[in-house]
Amino acid sequence: MSNWGSFQRDLLEQMPLILDGLVRTLQLTAVISVTGLLMGVLVFYLTLSPQAAVKRLTQAYISFFVGMPLIVLLFLMYYGLPQWGLRPSPFVVAAVGFTLNVGAYNAAYLTTAYNGLDHSELEAARAQGFSPHQVFRFITLPQVLRLSVPALTNQVIGNLKDSSVAFLIQYTELFARIQELASTNFQFFKAYCLAALVYLALVSVIVLAARALERRVAMPGLRSA
Amino acid sequence: MALIEIRDLVKEYDGRQVLAGVNLDLCEGDLKVVMGPSGCGKTTLLRCLNRLVDPTSGSIRVRGEEVTRPGVDVRALRQSIGFVFQQFALYRHLTVLDNVTLGLRKLRGMGPAQAHEKAAYELSRLDMAAHHDKYPAQISGGQKQRVASARALAMDPTVIVFDEPTSALDPIMSREVASMIERLNADRVTMLCVTHDLQLARHLPDRIVYLEQGRVRAEGSFADLAQDCPDAQVRTFFQHAGATA
Repeated sequence: MSNWGSFQRDLLEQMPLILDGLVRTLQLTAVISVTGLLMGVLVFYLTLSPQAAVKRLTQAYISFFVGMPLIVLLFLMYYGLPQWGLRPSPFVVAAVGFTLNVGAYNAAYLTTAYNGLDHSELEAARAQGFSPHQVFRFITLPQVLRLSVPALTNQVIGNLKDSSVAFLIQYTELFARIQELASTNFQFFKAYCLAALVYLALVSVIVLAARALERRVAMPGLRSA
Repeated sequence: MALIEIRDLVKEYDGRQVLAGVNLDLCEGDLKVVMGPSGCGKTTLLRCLNRLVDPTSGSIRVRGEEVTRPGVDVRALRQSIGFVFQQFALYRHLTVLDNVTLGLRKLRGMGPAQAHEKAAYELSRLDMAAHHDKYPAQISGGQKQRVASARALAMDPTVIVFDEPTSALDPIMSREVASMIERLNADRVTMLCVTHDLQLARHLPDRIVYLEQGRVRAEGSFADLAQDCPDAQVRTFFQHAGATA
């Protein structure tokens, strides 16, 4: 009991810092989810280019960033760039690094959904007089986004969980604050259980929101990938 | 002068001639049905017409303007040729109404209200007004064909081309489509219809063009081709429809 008492006392004492960490986790997750989606859409758009060189470059981008461990990318930027005179903040490194990584995954999800489209619709749009850009904007993108909702929302969950990696580049997010709590009283089991519960609660909220979104954008005749 | 004049149209794929010098005229208000065995170049002919594929040689004139020459505004050409696809190709994420208004808003630059009014008119003309808020997956094949036709009609095209309009439909729905084409023909809509459906051709009143091995082998009314055509093979082809009707 005394253990619990001291843990609770330390927890309450550090609550402002933990809440600050929670806010930073949510900030990073929100930013990289949006920028990762935009990057994914951009890369996906480029994969549809009729120019072979552009296609090859975007495929190389996807292969490179899907294949590279995120932590290597973050360390490369955070510890490597200062040797070139660049000293971005931990948040900037995390945001850029995650965006490059998440963008590659999202582009792959969108490409998979694209392969499942009825391509006669795209031809019908061209036959109607739409430009390739208009076909993408009005026909391709709305459909692949809808088809990709489960994969994209899973990626948001992944973003939330993976954001804890950012504490390794001095970004004081939730997990970093929990680490501090654990090192204050050495009650690691309780501290990490608390972290797990908080992440689980956050993930549950995202799952509920994702299901609501899936229902909202579901179209008769369109099945999610 | 014909609205559409096709002269010596050739299309080759990897050295194989799919169209081997097609000549065809289509006048204002005409309905022409292009028939022939599978692989005779029917669909390729339509796709050359709106430059979904580029012909190897020959000429296509729309209202006197050569449209196969380099530098032609292909998007403007396509907007002037309504293309109704074999599998309807409706945009699945859009309602029936939005399928029709999309081109009006984004290509013709109409405002939402004006596009809505025009789309509603075309849908009601084809008895689809009651289904305007449904999605393509919620309507039958015959209804999809009518929506695809309304989508094409709404753009006020010079000509509407149908690519095998009944191939994905059962006989009852095929009859529905035949009635729709007849009605549009009565409204003086210029149409070119590619089909291998002899029953459909039999019900359509105007001229039939019989294509074989990439060339026009015969042209005339269904009765002419079935009874008076000097080419025995063509007569047999069309008499078969009479026998199975």
